[in-house]
Amino acid sequence: MYLVRRVVEFSIWDILRNLLLAARWTIVLSLIAFVGGGLVGLGLLVVRTTQMRVLQRAVSIYVSLFQGTPLLMQLFLAYFGLALFGVETSAWTAAAIALTLYSSAFLCEIWHGCVQAIPKGQWEAAQSLALNFLEQLRFIVLPQAARIAVPPTVGFLVQVVKGTALASVIGFVELTKAGTMITNATFKPFVVFTCVGLLYFLICYPISAYARKLEGQLHVYSR
Amino acid sequence: MNRFLRLILSLVVLAVGLALSGCAGAQTALETIQKNRLIKIAIPVDFPPYGFVGTDLQPQGLDIDMANYIGAKLGVKVELVTVSSANRIAYLQTKKADLVISTLGKNAEREKVIDFTAAYSPYFQAIYGAKTLSIKSVDDLKGKTIAATRGALEDQELTKIAPSGTEIKRFEDNNATVSAFVSGQTQLLATGASVASNMIQRNPQLNAEYKLLLKDSPNFIGVAKGEESLRVRVNAIIAEAKKSGDLDKMAQKWLARGAGQLPD
Amino acid sequence: MRVALEFFPVLEEWPLLLTGIAWTLLLTAASTFFGLLLGTVCAYLRTQGPEWCRPFIVGYVELIRNTPFIVQLFFIFFALPAAGIRLSAEVASVLAMVINLGAYSADIVRAGIQATPRGQIEAALSLSLTHRQVFTRVVLPPALQRVWPALVSQIIIVMLGSAVCGQISTEELSYAANLIQSRNFRAFEAFIVATVLYLVLSVFVRHFFQWFGRRFVFGASRG
Repeated sequence: MYLVRRVVEFSIWDILRNLLLAARWTIVLSLIAFVGGGLVGLGLLVVRTTQMRVLQRAVSIYVSLFQGTPLLMQLFLAYFGLALFGVETSAWTAAAIALTLYSSAFLCEIWHGCVQAIPKGQWEAAQSLALNFLEQLRFIVLPQAARIAVPPTVGFLVQVVKGTALASVIGFVELTKAGTMITNATFKPFVVFTCVGLLYFLICYPISAYARKLEGQLHVYSR
Repeated sequence: MNRFLRLILSLVVLAVGLALSGCAGAQTALETIQKNRLIKIAIPVDFPPYGFVGTDLQPQGLDIDMANYIGAKLGVKVELVTVSSANRIAYLQTKKADLVISTLGKNAEREKVIDFTAAYSPYFQAIYGAKTLSIKSVDDLKGKTIAATRGALEDQELTKIAPSGTEIKRFEDNNATVSAFVSGQTQLLATGASVASNMIQRNPQLNAEYKLLLKDSPNFIGVAKGEESLRVRVNAIIAEAKKSGDLDKMAQKWLARGAGQLPD
Repeated sequence: MRVALEFFPVLEEWPLLLTGIAWTLLLTAASTFFGLLLGTVCAYLRTQGPEWCRPFIVGYVELIRNTPFIVQLFFIFFALPAAGIRLSAEVASVLAMVINLGAYSADIVRAGIQATPRGQIEAALSLSLTHRQVFTRVVLPPALQRVWPALVSQIIIVMLGSAVCGQISTEELSYAANLIQSRNFRAFEAFIVATVLYLVLSVFVRHFFQWFGRRFVFGASRG
């Protein structure tokens, strides 16, 4: 039997401090995925709104691929798959790429719904003003769609934050991974996971509440 | 259904595309390391005292010392990459790491896909459980639940020797495996001796003890298949460290015993 | 070529994959049944239950919606035993999924219930039906019909989320993929196969529940 020379003692403060430090990465990763996903999603949305059937089909297949498979598998595939392309991937880049693509698919779907909610007459009116397709989209349709798109978009941010927890499985040290590491060093799963859950709640709840408030306002205005 | 078929088709196209792409330059790993002055080494953080984290969550342990030792001897910077037992081979294959120093045991299945250097530290795996549980031989495992880390040697060994009716519960990393046993989710634990002694010291309430030896298997360093120049270079470093007593010092520091007889 | 893709070593392990699929479907079926039941009860209590229990329902729903599933799962499996509650990996997985689906479906069903025209309830009450009868016979079936597509989507999300249950040794599909890749070191191929299987499952499960809803949930009560 070997003797273990070093036994590390964690105080409650050590646990919380480390979790808070790790929560930074949860937030950074969420923001990267949300902003990156928003940009890619917007591009996809433009492609999807054009009249080209093939492109529309391609985007809707893209969306259903991401919506029909587990985020965990997408992360694994990004992690082990990109290397086959010769792309160097750390857990960081793989998580950022997978979550960005995942967000882009969902945001594209959300926004597509909002664009479709704009009456056809608006397009036709814009067309009669001799605006081209991109101008119609940019000046007439998107501003109206954006108004109804804000609440579900903010709501989706919560999904992204929760999604980053899965990056722990490919070894990215964020809040959840720090939780399992500290559990193994302290053997206090109850304390650690309660703190982890609480921290996620503190990040996510204000965002959900804000999304709900925005939605409430929207309904007041439209009535 | 038509749309669904198309999904499958596009996946197949994607897969073929992947297979055709990814032709890389013919630089050897050692050349790349020397050119970038950086070596990427995969280490564990869930395996005390080989690799674990302190209160600052920085990795430390025998494997980390060994990684830094090799980096110093090569005269290059070391980038530590955290891995779990289940995915460390994939790290070598996908070039996410140049070396795997992560309590890696040698066996025939693994030798098919990666190469090994000489051994650098001693290690054995065993089964642990509560004193009240009587486990005298392998046959007594029948009907018991055992936690093991997926893809680790103890998983492979256990899968081979366990009688039918043994319930092996496999977890992604050693953190989860040990947590499962400590929280009573399984009756027994199959893991490295060092990990177990830490766990037993920290959890006297479990009243756990050593039950059965699974395998005595020293740790080797993993190198991607065909990277012969790197393997030879690392072997030379290990041989030198063995002679100079550095390997013994490392084992003394972390395991409280000498390195003993290590196979080449 | 750096790495050639070989699917055969993965497909060779088809019994493992089949077991994985069976577990994924079983987890989904069990959590759908109990989750929708829990969600409906919560929706009832939230809209028609006694005043004092509403904050509890709201608290439960918010807590679950604002924390990641993987943390909920780890809490149940690793932390609850410290409080004397020990569940097997399979039971812990189902429980986590039920609690998760329960929270989301509570909100969805509530939306359906609140859309019930006032006059229908008054008409039913005037036929001297009890409040409970009104709820189960008059309010609930059309409410479920209204929100059924949203519920089915949520069931799919929960099924895809169950990929995480492999992390606590439940032998579902992602666990099978992980086990296969740890044996034959074909990580990318194993995850590709699992991902395609998940895609097939989500298409199948969606069609199944659309049919199931029409046939048994709101269709039958009309006849």
